[in-house]
Order: sequence, then structure tokens, then C-alpha cells
Amino acid sequence: MKYTFDFGALLGQGYPALIWGGLMTTLEMTLFAWLLAFVLGSVLAVLRMLNIRALNYVIAVYVAFHRNVPMLVHILLWYFGVGAIMPLFIEDVVNQIGGEFVYSTIAIGLVTAAYVSEDLRSAIRSIPRGQMEASRSLGLSYLQSMRKVILPQAFKISIPPLTNQTLLLFKNTSLAMAIGLIELTGAGREIESATFKTFEIYTVVTVLYLAISLLLMFVGAYLSKRVAYVTKTR
Amino acid sequence: MWEILSDNWLLLLVGQWPHGPVGGLVATVGLAIVSLLLAFPLGIMLALGRISAHKIFFWPATAVVYVVRGLPLIMFIFWVYFFLPLLIGNSVSGVVTMVAALALYEGAYLAEIIRSGIEALPRGQMEAGRSLGLSHMRTMRKIILPQALYNTIPSMLSQFISTVKETSLGYVISVHELTFAAAQINNMLLTKPFQVFALLALTYFTLNLILTGVVKLVEKHMGSGQAVTAA
Amino acid sequence: MAMKKVFKSLALVACLGAAQLAHADALSDIKDRGTLVCGTLGTSEPFSFQDPVTRQVVGYEVDLCKEIAKELGVKLDVKMIAVAARIPELAAGRVDLVAANLGWSADRAKQIDYSYQHYVSPQKILIRREDAGTLKTNADLAGKRVSAVSGSSSEAGAKKLIPDVTTVTFKDPPTAFVALQQRKVSGFVGSELMLLKFKQDAENSPVQLDIIEEPLFVEPWGIGIRKGEDALREEVNKALVKLEESGQLQKIFDRWFGPDSKFPTKRVFKVEEIKG
Repeated sequence: MKYTFDFGALLGQGYPALIWGGLMTTLEMTLFAWLLAFVLGSVLAVLRMLNIRALNYVIAVYVAFHRNVPMLVHILLWYFGVGAIMPLFIEDVVNQIGGEFVYSTIAIGLVTAAYVSEDLRSAIRSIPRGQMEASRSLGLSYLQSMRKVILPQAFKISIPPLTNQTLLLFKNTSLAMAIGLIELTGAGREIESATFKTFEIYTVVTVLYLAISLLLMFVGAYLSKRVAYVTKTR
Repeated sequence: MWEILSDNWLLLLVGQWPHGPVGGLVATVGLAIVSLLLAFPLGIMLALGRISAHKIFFWPATAVVYVVRGLPLIMFIFWVYFFLPLLIGNSVSGVVTMVAALALYEGAYLAEIIRSGIEALPRGQMEAGRSLGLSHMRTMRKIILPQALYNTIPSMLSQFISTVKETSLGYVISVHELTFAAAQINNMLLTKPFQVFALLALTYFTLNLILTGVVKLVEKHMGSGQAVTAA
Repeated sequence: MAMKKVFKSLALVACLGAAQLAHADALSDIKDRGTLVCGTLGTSEPFSFQDPVTRQVVGYEVDLCKEIAKELGVKLDVKMIAVAARIPELAAGRVDLVAANLGWSADRAKQIDYSYQHYVSPQKILIRREDAGTLKTNADLAGKRVSAVSGSSSEAGAKKLIPDVTTVTFKDPPTAFVALQQRKVSGFVGSELMLLKFKQDAENSPVQLDIIEEPLFVEPWGIGIRKGEDALREEVNKALVKLEESGQLQKIFDRWFGPDSKFPTKRVFKVEEIKG
């Protein structure tokens, strides 16, 4: 079978701009979803520590639902499902920004939040109870102890699993192409169907994904090493 | 939502069979089982490559694992969709593409699980096996691997749950699995997307909850027959 | 020792010669095989779709394939392929012809050869009836969002011809249609006949649809043939011209697009070379 390699074909007709746009969309999705996941995940983890039975149950159901249902299904549920029952004025605002972007970012953020909350929870639990008792006896309130003593250490301990979650989140953004969002994978497919240079464009997209994945892994490893000396004193 | 279930349960369960390929929930579970079974030997090979002292095994295995972990699964599936027909010389159906892609993808993840299982065993075992005159391979096969694999059964069952979730990506390449069946129902009904996709989510939720329960049972049962781990 | 070398090189040359022979053209391959493999969509009524009763693939393009196979004196093998796979399957030689809503485009013409046109399809935009007041012409969709099938010429045409439009592409027509129904986009770009079917289906749903009268662009469809297979192309064109002149083509056309059919359309094209 003949296949003439022609990377030059990718340079024509606005294709580089399409790839760049797709890459930017992927990175934007990653950023916003990560913020949502991190904030919500932290809130959920802290709420779990309050040990209120009803609250624990609700959070457990949230976590179980978001972990057991596939990411793609969450995206479809938000985009087609929630999108259909949203009041029209919200839908119009959402569609101005781009319903595909908004709903897939929300879906990915919420799912990652479930995993982040579990990782943070186990990190918090690994910190000796003595620390909470000590800071309370020094006069700090529960929330202040959490914020100033427990959580900072918990975050540092959970850098490796959180790095992993960030990597997964970054890769999950590719699923938004199923609802028509032109992120990096979507851009690759568009260019493929226009130029038929499948190998060339897939290679470019793959290199971009691998480069950013490796970057995320290195940043995570670096951060982990930098804070290691703190935890070693325990 | 329950009328949707009662009207379309057959489509969700087996897809268009017998008027089409087997689909739905049966296809989802079937795809996951077949893919994981194929991923298993692949994972063992990659794990052995990853711990190998010979660079010729170490570098390709490491490269495969890093590439697979760095690429989104959907991109990986598109690669396989493009590459497999070239390799085989014949056009390949979506199902075969899906199985091949999942087997390779899961194989890379299993490799890391099996590798950690092997490294958790005391080095003494390998040394003892070698000093008894067994070759490296035979020690691996007869002593190390059986224990490592047994110890990592819970992790591997968790990977099965992940694989079940990953089969949903078949939707994008029109493989007749559960998500595809739900999308077909949505295309027919048109006016109840929330109910259709909520039903889909609940189905996966129930299935995976049951599977998680099985994993927990297996873990408890295994607690009694633990192999020796590094102290 | 030298003899061995001579034998080896002779064998090599013989293999090369055999390889040359094996690389004969597609037309002879088809005649030798006794079968013509025709790639078609199977999901596009009335061009090629599954008859719910017989569960076989039938349609206008399937009938044309049957006639071409008859002209070549071989059997017909109908193979269903996806929209995005039409050109790859042809280029790889896994199908001999592609009769699958294949519109002509300059980019595609670089990859494959086309027969004479066998259909001309106006590409139009489907909108929600409630928007009919504001969206009267195609240009009214400027700056808005439209859906299309991924990899279709409709999508490419929309991007080129509607200023400042955002195209949202989905993997198949029903999903792109659902996006319009569920207010994700303001229009759905596609071939008139496909849109007509969706419009008819939507009459019974809460969201009725209309088609903007003026076509976005007009697209000639041809049968796709692998690049360079001139002998095959000539045979296909000969067969098409014969059908046109004998009146058989009109009969086939009327069967699927005639006044008594589901999609009554006037025939406005002739079987002739596609003007690029």
C-alpha cells in the first residue's frame, strides 16, 4: 500500500491555526476543570472530616456516582441531558460561550473532584490526630487548624496522587470531541478529514500530548521532591 | 424514565441482536472481558521488560508504557483504527479496533500493577531460586509471578472496572455497546435526553457498584491466604 | 556457490516479474474475481439504506451499482462503509467503487477519481421553525453556530460560505440533528434530501423544523474510483451513459425520487463530466 509522507501538507490552509486553537482549548479546559476539581475536592474532603453522618452519606454517593460512571457518559449527560432541562436564558448564555466547552469542563471537573476528595481524605487521615488535638489546645478553631496545620501538610503528601489526577484530567479533555468541541484531538480529526494525511497529523497531535504529559509528570515530581524535606521531619 | 427502560430494555441489553451485531450491556461486558484477557499476557510481558536488566527489553517496554500513559485513550483508539488495517492488510471492524486498543492500553496499566507486585516480593526469593540452579525465567515463572499475580488480583479487578468504563469510548467509533445503544434511543425519542442519559449513567453506576462489591469480597477472602510480602 | 547466487537472483527477478503482473489494474482484477465491491453508506435514504422488511441494503446508488456490475458482467458485492471511511477504503483497495453520497470537492479530486455525475445535491440548512422569522437566508447564520457531520463536504462548505460561522461537528447525521433540536446550534447543514427526511420526522415532535429555500451550494455527486484506474473509470462512465440514453436511468431515478416516492424531486441534472 502506497503512502506518501507529506508533513508539509499540514502547513496549508489554516491548519496550524486549527491545531493551535485546539491546543489552547485543551489547555483552557484543563485549567478550568482543574480549578473546579481542586476547590470542590478540597471542600468535600474537609466536609467529610466533620463526621456528620447525613453529609458523609451524600458525599459518598457523589463520589461513588462520579467514579463509577464513565467520563464520556458524564459529558453526554451534561451536554445533552442537563443542557435540555436548563432554563432557556441560562442555555443561551452557555451557548454564547460554547455549550460544548462549558458542559464538558463541568463534567470533567466534577468527576476529578470526586477522586481528588478521596486522595485528600486519605492524606488528611494519615496525619496524626495529635496534631489536630495540639492545635485545638493552642486555641485554634477547627477550621483554623484545618487551614493552617492539617491541610497544608495533607496537600504536600498528596502531590503524587494529585499529579496523577491532573494528568488524567488533561487526557480526559479529549473526550469533548465526541460532542463536537474542537480541542486538540478534535482539531486533529478535522485536519485528517480535510487532508487525508492521517499519519502526519496524528503524529503532531501525539507529540503535543506526550510533551505536555511529560511536563506535568516532571512538575509533579519536582514539587514532590521540593516539599519532601518538610514531611521527613515527622 | 422507567418507561424508557421498559420500552427499550432489549436494545440496552443486547443492542440490535439478532437483527444486527450484539450490543448494549452484553457487548460492554464482553468487550471488557475479552480486552482484559488479552491485556493480561501483554501486561506480564511489559512488566518483565520494565524490570529487565537487558536494555533491549527495558527501553521498548518503558517507551510503550510511557506513550500509552501519556496519550488520551481516544487518540490511542484513532491510532489503532488507522494502523491496524495497514498491519493486517484487511479492513478492521470497530469492535476489533476497540479490543486491540483496549488490550494494549490496559496491558500498559496492568504492566505497572504487575511490576509493583513483583517488586513487592522479597529479593531473597529470586536469589534463592537462582542459587537452586533455576534460570531467571524459570524462577520468574514458577516462583515470583504466581505470587505477584495473586497479590495483585484486587488491583487487576479494579482495572476490570476501569476497562468497563473505557468501553464507552466505542460510541465514538460506532461500536455497538451500551453508550451507543443509549445514543440510538436518544436519536429515536429526541425529547427526553436527560432521562435517556440519566438511565445510561444509572446502568453503569449499578454495574460498577456490583463489580466493586465483588472486588471487596475477593479482597476480604484473600486476606487469609496472603503470600509472603517484603517485611 | 556461484550457482546458488545465480539461482537466488533469478528467483528474485522472477518474483519482481510476478509482482509486476500482480499489479494489474483494478478492472482486470474485478473481471478475474468475478465480483464488483461497491462501498455504500447504508444509512442514507433513499440513496442506500436498510429496507426494514427485507433487512437488505437498497437504494438509488445500490441500483446504479447493480447496473454497473451487470455491464461489467460480474456479481455485485455491496459493502457498508462510514462517511469518514469512504476515501480511505477506496485508496486501500478494499472497495472497487464508492457510491456513497460522495460529493465532488477539489481536495477529494486530488485523492481519487470521479465518474460522471450521477446525482446533484443542493446543500441546504435546516433550522427550527421558531427561528424562521430571523433566519431567512443562509447569510443570516453569520456569527452563529451550525452543526454538520464530521468530515462531510457540508461542513467544509459551511465554513467557506457562511461568514464567521462556528461549525460543531458530530459523528453521524442523527446526532447533528439532535443538536439542532436541542437548541445547541441554530442550523444543521446537509444535503437537501437528508434534511427533508429529518424535517418530516420532526413534524410529530415538539420542535418543528424548516429548510432555508436557497441552497448554500450545489454539489455534484459521482462514483469514486481509485486514482489512476482509468480503464475502470471509462467502463463506469460508459455504463452510466448507456443507462442515460436507454432511459433506464430515468426509471431508476423515478423509482426513488419520482412523484409516487417518499422524496419527490425533479431531476435537474444530466449524466455528464463533473465540472470542477
